[in-house]
Amino acid sequence: MDSATLIISALKLLLVFTPFIIMPFLVLLERRGAAAIQDRPGPNRAAITLPGGLRIRGFGMIYNLTDGIKVFFKQSLVPPFVNKWFFIMAPTIPVMTAVLTPALIPWFGPVTYQAGDIVRTTTGSWLDANSGLLALFALGSLSVYGVVLGSWASNSKYSLLGGMRASAMMISYEVSMGLSILGLFLLIGSFSLTDAVNWQSNHAWGVVVQPIGFFLFLVAMFAETNRNPFDVAEGESELVAGFHTEYGGAKFALFMLGEYCHIVIASALLAVLFFGGYDLLPFDLSFAGRVDWLPHGPYDQAFILGHLGPVLGILLAVIGLLFLGFQWLLAKRSRLYASFAASDKKTRVREYSVFRAIFGLGGLALLVGAVASWMFLAPKPVQTNPEVYALLPTIIAALIQFGVVLAKTLFFCWLFVWVRWTLPRFRYDQIMALGWKWLLNIGLINLLLTAVIAKLVRS
Amino acid sequence: MPKIVPRPELTFWESIYFVEIFKGLGTTFRHAFKTLTKPESLPTLMYPEVQPDIPRDYRSRHRLMKRPDGAPRCVACFMCSTACPALCINIVAEESTDRHIEKRPKQFDIDLLLCVFCGFCVEACPCDAIRMDTKIAILAADSRAAFVIDKTQLLDWQPQDYPATDIQSQKAPGGSLHAEALAAFQAGDHH
Repeated sequence: MDSATLIISALKLLLVFTPFIIMPFLVLLERRGAAAIQDRPGPNRAAITLPGGLRIRGFGMIYNLTDGIKVFFKQSLVPPFVNKWFFIMAPTIPVMTAVLTPALIPWFGPVTYQAGDIVRTTTGSWLDANSGLLALFALGSLSVYGVVLGSWASNSKYSLLGGMRASAMMISYEVSMGLSILGLFLLIGSFSLTDAVNWQSNHAWGVVVQPIGFFLFLVAMFAETNRNPFDVAEGESELVAGFHTEYGGAKFALFMLGEYCHIVIASALLAVLFFGGYDLLPFDLSFAGRVDWLPHGPYDQAFILGHLGPVLGILLAVIGLLFLGFQWLLAKRSRLYASFAASDKKTRVREYSVFRAIFGLGGLALLVGAVASWMFLAPKPVQTNPEVYALLPTIIAALIQFGVVLAKTLFFCWLFVWVRWTLPRFRYDQIMALGWKWLLNIGLINLLLTAVIAKLVRS
Repeated sequence: MPKIVPRPELTFWESIYFVEIFKGLGTTFRHAFKTLTKPESLPTLMYPEVQPDIPRDYRSRHRLMKRPDGAPRCVACFMCSTACPALCINIVAEESTDRHIEKRPKQFDIDLLLCVFCGFCVEACPCDAIRMDTKIAILAADSRAAFVIDKTQLLDWQPQDYPATDIQSQKAPGGSLHAEALAAFQAGDHH
């Protein structure tokens, strides 16, 4: 194996761990988002004091650290009445699916690169099978086995009820999930997720062609990830803590890890299937060549490589402006805190100024980088027909696409948090009625309509 | 006659729930956005770094007022312990050495765990000897016994922590802070 293939494979392997990288941010997003929605300041206590006397609270990020330390140093209690082996095994199943499923998601588009003398093409997912989506569903649905096994092995009534609810809900919503996606795949004509994104960048985003399918899939994803308003499996109002009543310490943390990774994967899946995945824009800027000074779509890997400078420039500028905006928010908070008669005013304002410097200077540096990349970055293909670029621009283009997927994924992560703190939990019978009486039928009608319209359009 | 509260009828759009979801999302987003961009709108106090502003007439931990010579102004009349609904004041009286005063407290204990902070003791006191204006709202101790505060603790306060405009509260040892207070005392107003 040559070095280029090796480097790209290693990068792809790293991308498989994306959910684990996003997860701490998602936990933070959950805490901060909940706080913001409920008019609270959110987690701002835990801090690390650096040797210089600088107290770093890191926007609540330290809480993840302390939670991790707490959870892994807790006694790993196995209650005497449980089925020991299954009890210990159950939390590993959701984590296992969380490790396996990202391998099937295309984090960037197919990459063409020169390996020695041969030109190779590799897809952005670790495993791009024709059965991509089916394999993803098959693996993703396995995580409910962890819940059911854990609840049964706990040998507790509350756990068992939670597990029963989870399994019944999984069965109900898996059906409408499959049906909701069928309409889209009827149009795409392939179960490969890379094909799905390519189809979307050539035609239109999934949410435009299948709005009903998108909504059904979204609801099914909420149910699948056991999130509010579908978190009756936990149902702390009636079931103590549902399926993880008997769990504590590291085993409970594994359940949580699996759950949050599941949310990230569900968000990535929503982004890939309905929001164009790594596709940059939802529509053709030039309106099929009518506005000729704007670049013509589709905005795929070849487009990014052809306009690497401007594309990277615009994205860096957007990130830089976000940094500056964040700096502005921090400045506001810093000024506000300085106006209080607080005993630790000095340390806090100092911490704020450190972060303000980081984000302010970082934002400015990104803006400079944006201008520089717009003006000077224009890689030439090392080989034409097929156009092949050097390894570095290829990787930059792939990272841009990864960033786009990541941004869309984070948006859906926020949607999960947002909905959780907005809607009350459904009653169990309401969930069943919604699943079987509404979603299933809407899904069927949607599929039928899609099939008829697709047939009429094609013929 | 029972009052019948009519249930609001759901309109069609409300009953399909779908539109209401988006309305709810709008509401929560508005709150989140306001919290992010207008941190000053939050009602949260950054306690304990930022202390709340407790008004002077807030009924906080008690203190015993003093005579110019530093002795408690209390004459051990048991008015406060009689008025106390929680029976948290325990007074043991003894004969006073001052020939103008009949009794004085040998022991004056308040069990803060029993106290309901109603302020009846302050109202009942005929000689303004007990007050609840220390602004000490947080009571912490590591044992139940430590929550029972005695005469020394009740007399342990500094005149500069209290408003200079209130002459009565400034009758500190020597009464030097306010000549008027001293003069009033020397004129024979022993209470």
